[in-house]
Formats: sequence, structure tokens, C-alpha cells
Amino acid sequence: MRPTKQFATPPRRVALFVTCLVDMLYPEVGLAAAELLERHGVEVVFPYEQTCCGQPAFNAGFRDEARALARRYLDVFEPFVQQGMVDAIVAPSGSCTAMVTHFYSVLFEDPSMAADQQRAEALAAVTFELTEFLVDVLGVTATGARLEGKITYHASCHLLREMGIDRQPRTLLANVEGAELVDLAGHDECCGFGGLFSIKNPEISTAMGRRKCLNLEQSGADAVAVCDVSCLTHINGLLSKQAQRIRAVHIAEILNSQVDVAETPAEPQRDEAASSTSKPPAEGGQPRRWQDVR
Amino acid sequence: MPTAPINLHAPYKERIHDALHNKNLKTVLNRTVGRMSASRVAAMGAVDGEQLRRQVRQMKEYVLRNLPDLLEQFEANVEANGGRVHWAQDAAAANQILLDLARRHAVQKIVKSKSMVTEEIRLNDALEGAGVKVVETDLGEYIIQLAGEPPSHIVAPAAHKRIEDIAAIMQEKLDMPPTLDAEVMCSAARASLRREFLSADMGVSGCNFAIAETGTVCIATNEGNGRMVASLPRVYVAVMGIEKLVPTVEDAFLQLQALSRSSTGQQFTVYLSMTSGPRQPQDVDGPEEFHVVLLDNGRSEMLARGYGEALMCIRCGACLNVCPVYREIGGHAYGSTYSGPIGSVISPMLAIEASEAEKLPHASSLCGACRDACPVMIDLPRLLLDLRSHYVQQGVPPWFERQAMQGFLKVMQSRKLYETGGKMGSLGSNLLASFNGGAITFMPPPFSAWTKTRHFPPLARKSFRELWAERMERRKSISGPTSDAKRKPGEG
Amino acid sequence: MSERDAILSRLRDALAQPDRRFPPADPDPLTDATRMTVTKAEGDAPALAHRFGQELTALHGSYEVVETPTEARLTLLRRVTDWMEQETAAQKGAVIKTGQERNVLAWAPDALPVGGLDAAFGDMGLTLVAPSDLTGKEGRESIRSIRYGISGVEAAFAAAGSLLVRTGAGMSRAASLLPYYHAALVPFSRLYPTAEDWLAEQRQAGALVDLLRTHANLTLITGPSKSADIEMNLTLGVHGPKFLHVILFRDG
Repeated sequence: MRPTKQFATPPRRVALFVTCLVDMLYPEVGLAAAELLERHGVEVVFPYEQTCCGQPAFNAGFRDEARALARRYLDVFEPFVQQGMVDAIVAPSGSCTAMVTHFYSVLFEDPSMAADQQRAEALAAVTFELTEFLVDVLGVTATGARLEGKITYHASCHLLREMGIDRQPRTLLANVEGAELVDLAGHDECCGFGGLFSIKNPEISTAMGRRKCLNLEQSGADAVAVCDVSCLTHINGLLSKQAQRIRAVHIAEILNSQVDVAETPAEPQRDEAASSTSKPPAEGGQPRRWQDVR
Repeated sequence: MPTAPINLHAPYKERIHDALHNKNLKTVLNRTVGRMSASRVAAMGAVDGEQLRRQVRQMKEYVLRNLPDLLEQFEANVEANGGRVHWAQDAAAANQILLDLARRHAVQKIVKSKSMVTEEIRLNDALEGAGVKVVETDLGEYIIQLAGEPPSHIVAPAAHKRIEDIAAIMQEKLDMPPTLDAEVMCSAARASLRREFLSADMGVSGCNFAIAETGTVCIATNEGNGRMVASLPRVYVAVMGIEKLVPTVEDAFLQLQALSRSSTGQQFTVYLSMTSGPRQPQDVDGPEEFHVVLLDNGRSEMLARGYGEALMCIRCGACLNVCPVYREIGGHAYGSTYSGPIGSVISPMLAIEASEAEKLPHASSLCGACRDACPVMIDLPRLLLDLRSHYVQQGVPPWFERQAMQGFLKVMQSRKLYETGGKMGSLGSNLLASFNGGAITFMPPPFSAWTKTRHFPPLARKSFRELWAERMERRKSISGPTSDAKRKPGEG
Repeated sequence: MSERDAILSRLRDALAQPDRRFPPADPDPLTDATRMTVTKAEGDAPALAHRFGQELTALHGSYEVVETPTEARLTLLRRVTDWMEQETAAQKGAVIKTGQERNVLAWAPDALPVGGLDAAFGDMGLTLVAPSDLTGKEGRESIRSIRYGISGVEAAFAAAGSLLVRTGAGMSRAASLLPYYHAALVPFSRLYPTAEDWLAEQRQAGALVDLLRTHANLTLITGPSKSADIEMNLTLGVHGPKFLHVILFRDG
């Protein structure tokens, strides 16, 4: 599909591009992603200067603003790659990865920005979405996760169509022990978030989301795995308001065995001491509940 | 209440709201678009659909790169074959050409086959205004003409009508006895329209594609009304957008297959009528005169401004059928001749009447399903994004939005502002959420648009970077400082 | 500046701009070597004929394959008389006699691939009506109520069950367009596996461009007329024929 770096030996260290939504709203997703990588022999570095990839500005048509943030991303991450401090950049988000790997080249399309275009291309070649990195680069197909319950999978739009990533998350989910993977009608249909679309066209966005929630209900799943917290926020926002039982969970948390899907949800805040362990929940260990918004 | 048409001239928000709350529209959309998509998938899957898409795209790229020469070649051939070619820069010019032809031939009645381009220029209004009777002959178009409504779908103009609605119209206008039997309705329409075909003075069609190397206009229909329009009246006029050419006869057959498979899941449409000139002296039947009207109406402008990719559209409707937005609101809510994803791209640019067309590029979540379905692989999301950017450059977004975007940029350009803003947002949102058991159920406008139907989570008490820093501190105290040697200060 | 010149110069200006993402600078046209054949059909003439028939049947048409032109003539006659019986049986209640019940709209004898039809039909009390001019009012009136049509074809394509008809002396469009029932005679010599095969043959013979340019109309017919506009219910015979029967036969 897209040109990515072929690693002669497995990458040893990556920079985590955590994304602003995960950073501020779902930090446990970032921690789960980091833990997953570490458990598979990859050291994780976090460049603190990172903020936002610029996608909201780009999608709204504010290309100058988006370009400024794109250049900032390049300024922040490039040194880590160029100086050999990291072999790759990994993000727990399909849409943010798509922004870097596909849409930065749109921002720098004009011939006058050829230099930035080259920088963007170079960085795009080593920027990966989490499941893409696990499966395609590290060759991981099972993360040792254990889960009781039925899970299904919603394919986020940018992940599926811009990045062409679908087989990878499904493979990883299929190998979660104990979990029953069930089909979701309309699994590749948009959840209706679409960024600012959810506010500019709230009625349409809600109608699309409700259709997704209905399909989720009918799937019989206890939880739906998603690779993007944008979809997750929209879906959970509707499910919670509509008092439906099923919840959307980020795939990183499922693959890191952070979640007990069959139990009813409890408080959102995670136990900090527990976050530094990387063992799956076992007897004596408190199974962690996924973030729930009541 | 029956499917009352959405008021095309109502404000955008109202149209969307009405469409979303129209239960009958919901029913009929659910019954149809999924099936149409499924038949496309099956038909493209039965052959090397991907190669077909690549080849039609390649052919169309060649056409657009060579359009002026191909148009000249087409014109020379039509005229050498005994036909006449007319050029129209805009709707007014095109309508005038047709009015002149109607006048010259003392035309009292015109029969038309389905043509989006004639909807675009509001040809029927212009003709009827001059006292010429216009009869739509495509069954779906006939139905909506009887109902006094515009089409809601590129390929299936009556897609918004339930069978009950159609029966009611036919009972009222055609004196058909009450029935819900589609066969009976069809017979009623056939009989009524046959009379019109045989007594019409002029036939007007659109054009699915026209062959440059032979001067041939091709119309694809399943009903046969295209053949009738092109064969029975004395004068036959085809109206076409200038982008509708194909170079060779073989290319025409290739496009026909892409069109048939993508729009209705068929190998070929039942009829493809290929007209190259008026009847020859020895022919038994056929029109005495053959005219082609080439219409610009904003197409050359699209090419100039970087939206030329949308000119490859073969008007198959695949993008409409797969669009999650179209599925919720139907065609009329777009307020334009062209709806769905392709409509959202071309409506703002063609010189057509479209209420609040600048809202259309934003009426999309950019999911990309349209791009995957398009037989010529038009990157519709890209074009929508280009239009959004164009509008920003034109100063269309309200002051508030521009300010918000500047604010967003400022925060995101500074680690300090970002982290401080995040901290404050966390405090504020958690306070807000504490009033409602953990979820934010109200936010001030415009974010109230979210909370009307959805909860929103408060920001995390501690951001990822805070937790990560703490984690790294814990590790340092366990393992010592050596592991940090290569890292920049402050980096985890 | 004329409308024509204005449009062409605007297009040329637009295309002369450098650095336009679209269209590509120098795209190749499709050629005979590179253009794909979308579908396939294989086998000798009888095999292709049956393939043709399968496709047509799936589209709610019907067909027969026979060995000789004589059999084709007999089969055609039988088909038309069966249709006539079907018509009579379907008519309930008051029937308006049109006087055309025993008439069949046909191509002229020398345009049809099977001879002796006038005589054969005449023996059954049926009349083949082959007008030479249907442009006037009288001509139209004379055929308005005829329910059956007979034509030949320019070509037939097995993979899709399609017929190609063209205009010419004695070859009315009306015969395959207006009646409720249409029967087409297809000799094996005009049967091709796919449309692409026929196109290639015409192109190689240098005949393709002229074929289109010198005939006012060519029409591809793939099954009986249909519509799904009434809430996706399939109905046949909306404007064109409801019944399409194709008789394929080995040429003499």
C-alpha cells in the first residue's frame, strides 16, 4: 500500500505520538499502547513537545493553520528519527496517523514547499498506527490478552480507507483468549463523528451514530473495539446518553488485557499504582474497568 | 403524512431537519439504497472490477487532458454525419437554443428521457414558459413530474417515493383504479406515455457519453424511452455536458459496462441507443433532424480551479447509494439538482441554483466510502476538503469560527499553553461532570450541538504526559539514571 | 467571440496551467492492446448460442437454438402464434378490435436472415407488415396497434445476451421498439462471444467508424424493457417490448 520503511531488524525503540485526544481524554489508552509495545521488546520514548497533528484545522479548511502544526510535528519528531534515537513513530490512532502519512503531503503539495514535502515523506515512511506496527512491523499476531465476553469491531474510516488497515486489528482481536469475536452489521460504516461535522451537522451525525448504536446492540457484543478514540467518544457519548449497556473500548486496552468486558462499569479513574504493571489481570489482581461515562 | 417533498428553498438546517424526521423517507431509503449498493458490489465483483475502474479512469483522464481537441473532432463528425452542434456557455444560452429550435419547428409537445443536465439548466421551466408541453418519459421522472417534484437521486429519480405514494399520484392524475400492483401501475404509465411518444414533435435527451471519433450520442436506459425519444419525433436534440466524451467506440462500450455495473448492477443497461445523425433517406423511421447542445455551465471553470477530477463522473449514483449521509437525509435535502457526495462537490461550482451550496462540502464526515464505490475512482473526500479550504480563503466561515481556529492554533503551537490549557480544561470539565454523575451533559453553544444528544467525557484528571512523567520517575528511582543518558532533558 | 470559441479557449487556458493536480500531464489513451475485455464466453457456435440464451433467460427473455433456417422459420411462426393465443387468453371482458390482431411488424424480407416468411405467415392467416416509411402520420397509424415485431440483428453477444440492431433500408427501429412482443432472428454467423470481439473484428476490417457514421442509429438491446422505479419492484415492458424471444440458428 503506502511506502513504509522495511526494517532489516525489528525496531528497538519508538517515539510515541500519543495524539491530543488520548493525551487529554484517554491517557490510559496511551499507557496501554506503551505497555503493549514494551511487552513486545520495544522501548517507548515520549517527546513532550508534541501537541496536535493539525487534523481539526485541516478538515475545517484552515490549511495555513494546519500547515503550521504540521511543521511543528515535523520539528518535534524529526530529530528523534534523524539522530537515530528512535526507529519509528507509533500512534494509537488511525486518523492522526492518516493525517501525517497522507494529508501532510496535501498540505505541502505546492512546488514551493518541496523541502517540507520531503521531510513529511521521510517521516511518514516511519510513522505507524499501533496495530499496523504490531502486526506488520513486529510480526505480532497475539498479545497474550485474556478476556471473557463477546467483543466486536468497528472499523474507523481513516484507518480503514486512508491507511488500508483492517486485517491487523481483526487478527489481534481474534487471538484474544477467551473472547468471542462476533460480527457487527455495518462494521465499515461511519459512526458519524467526522470531527467538527459532529457539531456543524449534529442531527445527521446523531442519526448516523444511532444507526451504529443499533447495530452494536444487535450484535450481542459486550464491547466494541475501536482503534480511534474519536469514534469511541462519539459512540460512547450516544450509548451513555441512551443508557445502552455496550461500550466502546480502545483496542490498546483490550490487547493489553486492561479490560473486563463482562462486568458492569465502575469509576473512570484508573488506579495509578496498577498502571506500572504489565501483567494481565489474574487471581488477586484487580481487573481494571474501562473508562465509562455515565 | 405522505412523503411531502422537502422544500428545496428552505434554509439548509430546516431541510436537513425535515428530511431526518420524515418517516416515510426513512422507510424508502432503507428499502432501496442498500440494495442498490449490494447489486453494484456483486456486479463489479463478478468481473475484474478494479481493473475496470482503473481503465475507465485512465480513459477519462485522457479525455479531459485532450478535451478541446476531442470536442472539435466530435463536432466535425456530427456535422459531417448530417447533424448540428450548438455550443452553450450557460443555462440561458442552452435554453435559448432549444427554444429557437422549438419555435422553428412549431413544436407543441416535447418528450424527454431522463437527463440530469436538463434538470441542471431548468430546461422544462424555460420550455413550458414558452408554451411548449414537456412530457418526462422515464417512469421515475414521469411519476415525479405528475407529483410536481424534482428528482432526488441521479439514477432513480423517484427513490424518495413509496409505492403507496406513487399509486396515489397515478390514481389522481391518470385515472388509474386503486392498486398497489406495480405491474398495473406500469401498464397505466406505458399506455399514457405511448400516446405522448407518438404525437410529440421533438425528442430531448441527455447523453450518457458521446463518441468523438464517430460523432455519436449514446443514451442508456432500461425502459426503452431513450430509444423512443431519439427515434419517434421529427426532431431529436441531445443536451450534454462538455465533459461527457469518450475517444473511441470501444471506450464507449467499456464505459457502458462500468456505468451499468455501478449504477444498477447489470452487465449492460437494457438499451443503449447510439445516434450519429438524422435518418438516412432510405431509413424507415428516425428523426429528420439531429442536434447536439454542448453545455459548459461552469465545467471549464471546475477544470481551471483544480476540481477537474469531478468531471470524470459518469453519473452512476454509486456514491449516493453508499453515502452514510445520503442514507439519512435523501436527495432533496441537498437542495440542488445533484445530491450525494458528487453533488456536494459540483453543486457549489456549476452555475446552478442551489440553496446554501457552500454548506454542502461540510455535509460529510469524510468517511471515504464514496471514493471506494466510484467506478472512476474520483477522490471525492479530497475535493470536499479542497472546497472547504477554498471557502476559508473566501472568508466564508463566521468570525467566531475563525477566532476559535486561531485560538486552537495558538494553544497547539505552545507546549506550555497546551499543557496549561489541558490542566484548566481538566479542572473545569471534571467540575462540570461532577454535577451529572461523571459525564458532561451540557456545554455552551456551539458545543451544545453535541450535548443535545450525546454525553461527553470530562478531561482526564491527569493527562497522559503527566502520568508518563510520573511513570518515568518511578522507573528512574528503580533502575537508576543510566537509561536516560541518550534522551534529551525532560523527555521520557 | 462565439460561444464555441469562448468555451474552447477557456478549456485550453485551463489545461495550459502548470502544476495542476488533475488531469495528468500526458495520460495514455486506452488502446486495443491495453483495453480489457470485461466478460468472457467460450466455445463453438452452439455453445455460445446456449450461453447467449442463459444470459437472456436470466433477464426474463426467452430463446431457442435450431439447426437450419427452415427450422428457424417454423419456430418463429410457432412463437408468434403462441403469443397471439396468449394475447387472446389474457383479454377479459370487452375487447376493442383494432383490426391489427393478425398483423406483425417486420423488417423487409431482404433485411431478414431467413426467407419465405411472408408465405409461411400468410399460410397461417397472418400478415407481415414491412413499411418503408413510418415518418408520416398515416404510416404511424397503420402500425400503431400491432403487438408483434420481427427483426434481424447486426450482431449478438453471448456473454451478455445482447443484440445489436442498426437502421437501414427496410430495417425499421419500430419493429424492435414499439410492439409488446419482439422476436429476433440471429444466425450463428452474427453471434460473437463478447461485444469486444465484435468491435475488434470491425476495427481490424477498418469498418467500425464507418458503420456508426453512416447509420443514423445503432442500438444495443439486452433483454426486455424493464424498470425498478416503483420502489425497486421489477416491472417489464415499461416502454419497449415486454417479451423478447431470440431464435439462434445455423446459417444455410
